Amino acid sequence: MNFSADGRKLVVGVVGIVSLTLFFHQWPQVANAATVALSFLVVVLLVAATARLWVAVTTSFVAMLSFNFFFLPPVGTLTISDPQNWIALMAFLAVALVASNLSAVARTRTQEALMRRDEVGKLFDLSRDVLLITDSEAANSSLAGFIARRFELDYVAICLPAGRDWTIFESHAAGAPNPDELTAAFNTGRNNDGQLAVASGVGHRMVVWAGDAVQVVPLRLGAKAIGLLATRGRSIDAGTLDAIAGLTALAIERAQFLDERKAAEFARRSEELKSALLASLGHDLRTPLTAIRVAADNLESSWADEAQRRDQRELIVTEVDRLTRLFQNILDMARIDAGAVTHDARWVAPTEIVDAARSRVEHLLRGRTVKVTVESDGLVRLDPRLAAAALSHLLENAAQYSDPTARIELEAAVSTEGLMIAVRDHGKGITAADLPHLFDRFYRGAAGKSGRSGTGMGLAIARGLLALEGGRITVENCDDGGARFTIIVPAEVR
Amino acid sequence: MNRPARILLVDDELAIQRAIAPLLRSRGYEVEIVATGGAALSALAGHTPDLIVLDLGLPDIEGTEVCRRIRKESKVPIVVLSARGSEADKVAALDIGADDYVTKPFGSEELLARIRVALRRVEEDQAPDIERLAVAGLVIDYNRLRVQRGDDDIRLTPKEFELLALLARNVDRVLTHRMILRTIWGPNAVDQPEHLWVLMAQLRKKIEPDPGSPRYLLSEPFVGYRLVSTPSQSQ
Repeated sequence: MNFSADGRKLVVGVVGIVSLTLFFHQWPQVANAATVALSFLVVVLLVAATARLWVAVTTSFVAMLSFNFFFLPPVGTLTISDPQNWIALMAFLAVALVASNLSAVARTRTQEALMRRDEVGKLFDLSRDVLLITDSEAANSSLAGFIARRFELDYVAICLPAGRDWTIFESHAAGAPNPDELTAAFNTGRNNDGQLAVASGVGHRMVVWAGDAVQVVPLRLGAKAIGLLATRGRSIDAGTLDAIAGLTALAIERAQFLDERKAAEFARRSEELKSALLASLGHDLRTPLTAIRVAADNLESSWADEAQRRDQRELIVTEVDRLTRLFQNILDMARIDAGAVTHDARWVAPTEIVDAARSRVEHLLRGRTVKVTVESDGLVRLDPRLAAAALSHLLENAAQYSDPTARIELEAAVSTEGLMIAVRDHGKGITAADLPHLFDRFYRGAAGKSGRSGTGMGLAIARGLLALEGGRITVENCDDGGARFTIIVPAEVR
Repeated sequence: MNRPARILLVDDELAIQRAIAPLLRSRGYEVEIVATGGAALSALAGHTPDLIVLDLGLPDIEGTEVCRRIRKESKVPIVVLSARGSEADKVAALDIGADDYVTKPFGSEELLARIRVALRRVEEDQAPDIERLAVAGLVIDYNRLRVQRGDDDIRLTPKEFELLALLARNVDRVLTHRMILRTIWGPNAVDQPEHLWVLMAQLRKKIEPDPGSPRYLLSEPFVGYRLVSTPSQSQ
């Protein structure tokens, strides 16, 4: 409510009195003192019910003066001859006071209710913000920002005790307060056991923070305080502040819980990964080793004829190749993990990358039809070794998961965004069950388990190598069968 | 056996097939190769082989499950190829009814020896019940519950005799801890291997020339025990 609204109501009130005065003056036959007084009283009551006290009082004075001057004998003067008329005047004033007081109380109540509703709404919004936080690391710092935004505060900080010092998460940087002062505030209202009385407003305190006075309240979980919430800006009532602080404390605890769960999950996954590695190596190393060992025995034996010896020799070479590939994969994976892969960008044509990739897996593509389409003659700036290595894994994959007579299609293009290379096979495609795990280490799809030499590392390595260049691999099943893997590497082009 | 023994090789790894099949054929076995557990079971339904060499890591059905299903149908000896580091699969396969196992990477002779033993067991099972058994330089008299080395009696407790007799009846074949425990102490004892350790230590003291490094009563670590007929150099 502002002045102009009050002013308008005052004008309406005064105009009402003046109009009534003119009306009764015009028709004196209806104007006895009682009717005039009651009519004026209605106007005063209406004004008092809607406007503030001073407007109502002013209106009642105008009414009283007008009544006195125009209608009370002696008419035309402001003197009051009859003491009964004093009573009329007092009635005007009393009605004005009582009515405007009542209406003022009602208005304040409404306003308070609106404010409460507003605050509950904001608390609800805040709790939704809190529940939507899934990344526990970001939780504490974004929480301060959420509170500041939802409650239109200039500054919010969440202070958590860390030993003798304090960890502070601010809605925006404002400079840290004196830790001792925070500690003092933290101890405010706590009893000897460190417990806070469960009542609103306990432990609230003002602290001077980088030159400004800041309201500090405890972040409490029941009777336990886990830190402090500092706010500056508009004043919020103590109950609401406690509610905000309670919600914040819950959010912090939830974030810690998420952290712990994530750590446990990580530990479990890393355990799983290790045992998957061991199981995979167990199988992938021992099988070729067994074949080599038995084949070597066979070579030495007397029973083998020349054709059989040749076959056993070939077998040894094939299995040694397989072991070599396996070791290369293990090394690549270890280098990716260790961050030891160097990145050396240069201008390169897509055909170079395709040729390099094909030569890396030549032995696997022997006898296969690989149809290559390079759509543009642009150059792209990236490390060709990484892209070629990644592509070679896709080609190996395509060869492994499709019939030896089936065609493999390779498509490369340079667009404004960078390099795109797609490998499409005519195998069985990827099952819905395999899709989410396709790029997981050591994951081999149901079909892959019967594969002759898969290690479950190829796609993981391809993705790891491309990630070093900010690239990615996507995969889709084609409508007419087979899978299509697409490499996209954002890069400068010309 | 007059005709050559027929061996069904169940392995999905082409390399293993290529190395092992000619090896087995060179020893006069007939070899049939299948790559999946399903194919193995249907091969069994047709013409029963004399022995199955079964890789535990099959693409379609768990190796131990294949083993179990084969055992439901037939008593054909099974030699398991295991590439896994864990002993659990091997033990499970043996408990279900596999006769023996070799762990990859293995040498030709190791595999051939296991196959020979498993095939011999079938012949022995068909032979009439034996009263006396000569094994590992010992003569075991089942009727009189006596064991002799040369002319000397070896005095064994009844449990020691039972253990030796059990291993001797399955000479050269691995028996799992569970299987031995169940046979000698009954089904409630299968989770109390300490009985077996103690008894085995006692038996070795009486049988082995050097109980500290046994030559006949061999441990298969985490799996079981095996009594070998001839102590081989490689053991």
